[in-house]
Amino acid sequence: MAIIERPAAVPATVDAVAAPEVVTPTQALGAFRRPVSSTGWKSWLFTVDHKKLGIMYGAVSLFFFLVGGIEALLIRLQLAAPDNTVLSADQYNQMFTMHATTMVFLFVMPMAAAFANYFLPLQIGARDVAFPRINALGFWLFLFGGLFLNSSWLLGGAADGGWFMYSPNSSALFSPSHGIDFWVLGLQITGIASLIGALNLIVTVLNMRAPGMKLMQMPVFTWMVLVVQFLLLFAMPVITVALFLLSFQRNFGATFFDVNQGADPLLWQHLFWIFGHPEVYIIILPSFGIISEVLPTFARKPLFGYKFVVFSGAAIGFVGWGVWAHHMFASGLGPVSVAVFSVATMLIAIPTGVKIVNWTLTLWGGKLWFTTAMLFAIGVIVLFTIGGVSGVTHAVAPSDTQQTDTYHIVAHFHYVIVGGAVMGLFAGFYFWWPKMFGKMLNERLGKWNFWLMFFGVNLTFGPMHILGLQGQPRRMVVWPEKLTGDGFFDMHFWNQIASVGSFVIGLGVLIFVINIFWTWKKAPIAPLDPWDARTLEWITASPPKEHNFDRIPTVHALDEFFHRKYEEVDTADGPRLVKVKSAEEILAEEESHADAHIHLPSPSYWPIVLAAALPIIAYGVIYNLMLSVVGTAVLLLAVFGWCLEPSVADDSDYDPPAGGDSTKELATLG
Amino acid sequence: MDRSKETVSTLGRMPSTRRHWSRAALFTGVGLLLAGCANNAPQDIFEPKGENAKKIDTLQRPVFYIAGIVALIVIGIVGYAMWKFRDRGQDIPEQSHGNPKLEIALTILPAIILAAISVPTVISVFELDKKTDTECIINVTGQQWWWEYDYATGQCGDVKIDKPIVTAGELVIPEKTNVLLRITSRDVIHSYWIPALNGKRDAVPGRLHTLRMQADQPGIYTGQCTEFCGLSHARMRQAAVALTTSDFQQWVDNQLKEYVAPEAGSLAAEGEAVFTANCSKCHQVNDLKNADGSPVLSDPDLYVVSGVAPNLSHLMNRTAFAGWTFDLLTEECRTALWTAKPADFGAMYLKGVTPECFNEVALRDWLRNPPAMKPMFVDPNNLSSTGGKYRGMPNLNLKPDQIDQLIAYLLGRN
Repeated sequence: MAIIERPAAVPATVDAVAAPEVVTPTQALGAFRRPVSSTGWKSWLFTVDHKKLGIMYGAVSLFFFLVGGIEALLIRLQLAAPDNTVLSADQYNQMFTMHATTMVFLFVMPMAAAFANYFLPLQIGARDVAFPRINALGFWLFLFGGLFLNSSWLLGGAADGGWFMYSPNSSALFSPSHGIDFWVLGLQITGIASLIGALNLIVTVLNMRAPGMKLMQMPVFTWMVLVVQFLLLFAMPVITVALFLLSFQRNFGATFFDVNQGADPLLWQHLFWIFGHPEVYIIILPSFGIISEVLPTFARKPLFGYKFVVFSGAAIGFVGWGVWAHHMFASGLGPVSVAVFSVATMLIAIPTGVKIVNWTLTLWGGKLWFTTAMLFAIGVIVLFTIGGVSGVTHAVAPSDTQQTDTYHIVAHFHYVIVGGAVMGLFAGFYFWWPKMFGKMLNERLGKWNFWLMFFGVNLTFGPMHILGLQGQPRRMVVWPEKLTGDGFFDMHFWNQIASVGSFVIGLGVLIFVINIFWTWKKAPIAPLDPWDARTLEWITASPPKEHNFDRIPTVHALDEFFHRKYEEVDTADGPRLVKVKSAEEILAEEESHADAHIHLPSPSYWPIVLAAALPIIAYGVIYNLMLSVVGTAVLLLAVFGWCLEPSVADDSDYDPPAGGDSTKELATLG
Repeated sequence: MDRSKETVSTLGRMPSTRRHWSRAALFTGVGLLLAGCANNAPQDIFEPKGENAKKIDTLQRPVFYIAGIVALIVIGIVGYAMWKFRDRGQDIPEQSHGNPKLEIALTILPAIILAAISVPTVISVFELDKKTDTECIINVTGQQWWWEYDYATGQCGDVKIDKPIVTAGELVIPEKTNVLLRITSRDVIHSYWIPALNGKRDAVPGRLHTLRMQADQPGIYTGQCTEFCGLSHARMRQAAVALTTSDFQQWVDNQLKEYVAPEAGSLAAEGEAVFTANCSKCHQVNDLKNADGSPVLSDPDLYVVSGVAPNLSHLMNRTAFAGWTFDLLTEECRTALWTAKPADFGAMYLKGVTPECFNEVALRDWLRNPPAMKPMFVDPNNLSSTGGKYRGMPNLNLKPDQIDQLIAYLLGRN
């Protein structure tokens, strides 16, 4: 029994009105007026446009990806030989701490935010997010927080406690450099970005969908982003509290984790992992969303079991809160807790398995077009499956006590994060690049990029399964010759393969960077609908105009764009799908029916100023509280400026909505 | 991961890095297919040597097989679909949105598999936590960056321990005996792990965790600290040594024997003076006396954050030092001991470090400059966070002749 969705009848369109009136603010005077530039560097610094912010999120995340990648290569160089001396123990500890921190908090999360910022409003047919200035604030907080965090390298050494920063090793007694202070405060700053971003996108999705778009007609990417924002909304406060506790312990003499004062160090572990496990799904679900867009597009058929994929995503979001202690099976929780969390962890494998089944069945019976984006998406299915089944081996708590903190775990979570999340993000790059920049990434370089990364991931992280099972623990600056075993395939051999593999991944990433530059300089203009895509973001120009849509589209079906292009025609051989309209024709029709009044939020000076105040306060916490006072003054100035600036720039054609409850009004208040 | 005894590298155990790289390049593809593993890797988790680890092993093997088969099936189906449904100019497929019956079936199937796995999992969790069949209790305490073992007086299997025994690095237990470790820490979190005997258990300051240990036969089983514990985490290792009851009795007797002072006027006697003047501030040697006959009592609380340093009364009955990181045995003797047959193991082990097997180079280097061999937090200019206390052993700036004397003295601590 197959469910076939046919689009509802298209209602008669409203008569054509005048050409679009785009807001072109002209004049602003004084500090409390709003900036007006829509070109040049000022248009980027003060922008509130979700697309510009999305691109900036992406560019900064890519930069941090390269930083985290170099840290990874240094780690693999150190481990390429026994008792190696490329890095000192102290440098190595900083390196793996910052590699993880950078990749999780400064690459995967913000890169997902980049896609969410850029495409979520487009996918739901909105002109911007609900709170555009808060959106800008989020980006600047991420950038400044990330730079602040990394400035520790130059100021006496980075954090050295491992990314989960277990107490009491993270206390000032055991880690006297300022590295962990930078880590705590830097994550606090980027955490604000995640939290306000989550609120913003939730409100956007719930209030600003195009007419006709029911929740169950939203693209899966939007759905997964929505689930992630709820996870962030509840997870970020937990880590914020934990970080404050640690911060107060390190800087102001509090004793939350001080055993001599009666504290239990496991408090930190619980707080960290109650955040940390949902964080895993925060990392992975956006990529699940991306490949749930890419696979149907290139299989030329809808996602198999859309509802199952959506609900399994939501189920992962719920059950993800009940499994945190599986990171603590060796911590000494007692058998009851261990048994409960062990079973809960197996439970979460079910909705995850549902997704893999649905993606595979999306391919089944399709007409597969192996673009680079498609290869990356299929790569995710394969690599995530490997990471998923090794995850089941850890869910069995007694065997996890053998595997935890060994390279087997390192292998598992890199298959999940690199194979699942990062490969998914790359699918997103290749899929959406023509939409974002109007130019196609080179497919030839793209295939090289894919195959190098795919083989690189397997070469690097595949052997780590073996290394871990043979007893090589993680976070070891050296592994000794006498534990390598005998024979050809000794641990020496596998460590070298892993190191070679890491450079293969590096080469793949390098080719991606080259591809970006090649595309920027040389690539021809992309066709409007290069992939014969399915969702709303492709209904508009590439790159989209500042106001996204000349006319807010009315939605009648899941995969709206596809159903506008294709219709079922009865032929002698039965019904056949026939392309009835091209993307260009659909765009022309939209343009000719442009909305009469288009309101866009005006740029603002204050998000960047407000964001800049926080690192100043943070430096003050570390070095001199007077600096924090200065930072607070800047913060207050920015808050007042934010509140007091006019809701729009001068001379924009703002018409207050009559009822005061429309999406336009919301945008203004942002 | 099975050990095949016959496969021993004919090229020896110290191959050049260059040869390894060329091998790596040549055999990458083949190697991945074979997914081969090292033979005799001492910490291989598929080589259980005791009841508890075997329990884990019986549980994990089928799970690994199921996991592997599921992965192969999924990847196989994806691969087949990629080939079968590639674009060959066929029509755009019917826009089918799914098949609920199939979906439900494919949701229930993994649920059944997982339910089947969860039952033995839960049973094993409780079995591995059992404390009622304990025959011997040993207290294990982690600190940066070594393990201390403290044998309470009383019965340990069939052997009675009359006085407390304190030792470091090597956990010595009677074979075929249910030993219960009571694990805690004096500073940060560590994790005790002997893969051949059981899984890990964290040593958390302020908490007491238990871990069952049982070895089926005599032998040495290596492990290391697996919870990141700071600067020298990589150099915090340990081993469990299982002995037959009679051998264990001998070991206990040796631990509790009277202190034998070195012969007056010998190099070792000079070493005793050096030890008393320098080392004994932190390191205890039981029954060591001052010239006036008063006992020499170490007071590490004054000097190190964790408040203890390894007891050196019977250093030469252990096979490694400084967090069980550096060998006291020469490589030849260590290899012989590690590969000894269970029947021969006890006698070899109880001999301790004989002069011909003594790896003097390592101990000499260590005494010359400990932090150069093992990074520790001992820079005198950077101790403000600890109120002037060290984490680890500082460089005592011993003179070469003092080192000679100390080594002569320590060689007698057996």
